[in-house]
Amino acid sequence: MITLPLAPLWILEYLCSTIVLILNVLSLRLSRRLVDRDPENALWLFLNWLAIAFLIFSVTHMIDHALMDLIAYWNLPNLALLQRIFGGFDSVVYVTIAAITLFFHRIQRLYRRMEADHHHLEETSHEILALNREMEALVMERTMSEMALGMAHGIRNPLHVIGGFSHRLLRKTDEDDPSRAWASAIAEEARRIEQMVERFESLAQRKTSFFAQEDLNVIVRSTLDLLLPELRAKSIALVADICPTPLVGRYNKHLLKVALAHLIRNAVEATRPGGTVLVRTAEEHKFALLVIQDTGRGMPQDVVEKVFVPFYTTKIGGTGLGMVFVRQIVDEHRGIITLASKVGRGTTVTIRLPHRFTDRPEVGEESPPSTPPETPVTPETSKPGKNGD
Amino acid sequence: MRRQLSWIGSAVFVLVLLSPKYALAQWVSWYQFGTEGSYVHETAHLLFGLSMVFFIYEIFHANLQKFRGFRLLAWAWAILVFWNLDAFIGHWADWTLDNPVILGLGWGRRLLMYNFQTWLVYITKIDHFILLVPAFLLFYLGLKALVGKPGAE
Repeated sequence: MITLPLAPLWILEYLCSTIVLILNVLSLRLSRRLVDRDPENALWLFLNWLAIAFLIFSVTHMIDHALMDLIAYWNLPNLALLQRIFGGFDSVVYVTIAAITLFFHRIQRLYRRMEADHHHLEETSHEILALNREMEALVMERTMSEMALGMAHGIRNPLHVIGGFSHRLLRKTDEDDPSRAWASAIAEEARRIEQMVERFESLAQRKTSFFAQEDLNVIVRSTLDLLLPELRAKSIALVADICPTPLVGRYNKHLLKVALAHLIRNAVEATRPGGTVLVRTAEEHKFALLVIQDTGRGMPQDVVEKVFVPFYTTKIGGTGLGMVFVRQIVDEHRGIITLASKVGRGTTVTIRLPHRFTDRPEVGEESPPSTPPETPVTPETSKPGKNGD
Repeated sequence: MRRQLSWIGSAVFVLVLLSPKYALAQWVSWYQFGTEGSYVHETAHLLFGLSMVFFIYEIFHANLQKFRGFRLLAWAWAILVFWNLDAFIGHWADWTLDNPVILGLGWGRRLLMYNFQTWLVYITKIDHFILLVPAFLLFYLGLKALVGKPGAE
């Protein structure tokens, strides 16, 4: 029968334990340096705690096994109590190491989620900022063109009167009459002012540079293509009921995409996996109709009423500006947005965009007809979007 | 799936804990399998190993393995996982060994290798300490790499 010496085992045991103890002391020093360098780094803190636990482990483990050997092979049963204490402590240290590591695992998960949320929030805020700038430029351009058109309307009529009378005066004045030159000068200046008014009006036409002839169906399709992976990831079915005929109007493609993407994302967030989001486009009299319907949790009436109120949000980390921008985008298209929701049944957002956007007096591509000076210029209050909710 | 696994795990734990009738609250001989302390110690080893697995997962999930320091730490944890399994088996073999035959006296004592379990005890006793050295050496080297150049690949 083979017998093996126990002494090499014991020597190996104490030698290895001593090396481990030294390595752990050195590791603790290194981890301390990491923490000193960046005290708020969760990873360095964790490694420092772990190094402390490992150092305690290397001490208790060495003592525990030494005692165990003394009891088992050296017949020293009196050490049993001491061994129990160190053995118990050894187990506690293992559990502590496990607890530190598992706690860190959880913290890391939370930290990653927080980081992702922060990143998302930053991205959203950048998007909102860019959108805000575009909206500001758009509103400024519209204000400018409306002012230009208003002034042109205001000047044109008295100018017609001045021009008309100066020409009549010219016709009725003799060739050698010294006042004929004055009437001629008045007529000439009136013509120059009229040319200026025309240039002014052409300035107003520039507003259309933000809008172009676009097919709403194309805009909707490209937005859906963009968002399809998000819907698939959440196992939400997308039903796209696109109008077979093109819904051409003067739209800002970029802004409409932003608005549509926001509404679909809202629908996706509210809908449980297995639910459905419906996007429908249709023609309705003078409007292009866009409907976004979900089978999500819906909203109570008091929330629906506040949806378009700036900074009102029910989402954690939400800005409360998304729906405000959506409404502003629809407003800029002279459209109407309505929202209907039932708790547990889902939400339906309906947008109506006029096809003949550019035919409105204040943005007409053709020169506006002359109006009497006392006629008020195109009223801002006639925006249909303002009555949309 | 997760819930099922946790149920199975809990059931096995309860079964193992309750199966030996004499096991509860018995601290008479810690180094014998079946005492409360031995169960606690074995479970602590499993927990220790499991937590190391979680940390390796964490390193790869956070894509930290591209840094040399974290790669070394991952290797350290991997060895510690193996060490815990080795310790679990070694403790079981050691504490269930009936009447080990020890010949000789003092430092000249020898263990009679009369069955497979005796061999298992002897080998796992060697592993138990040998494995710890590379594990903590890698831990030290990993930390050293992180202290030197945290972003070094």
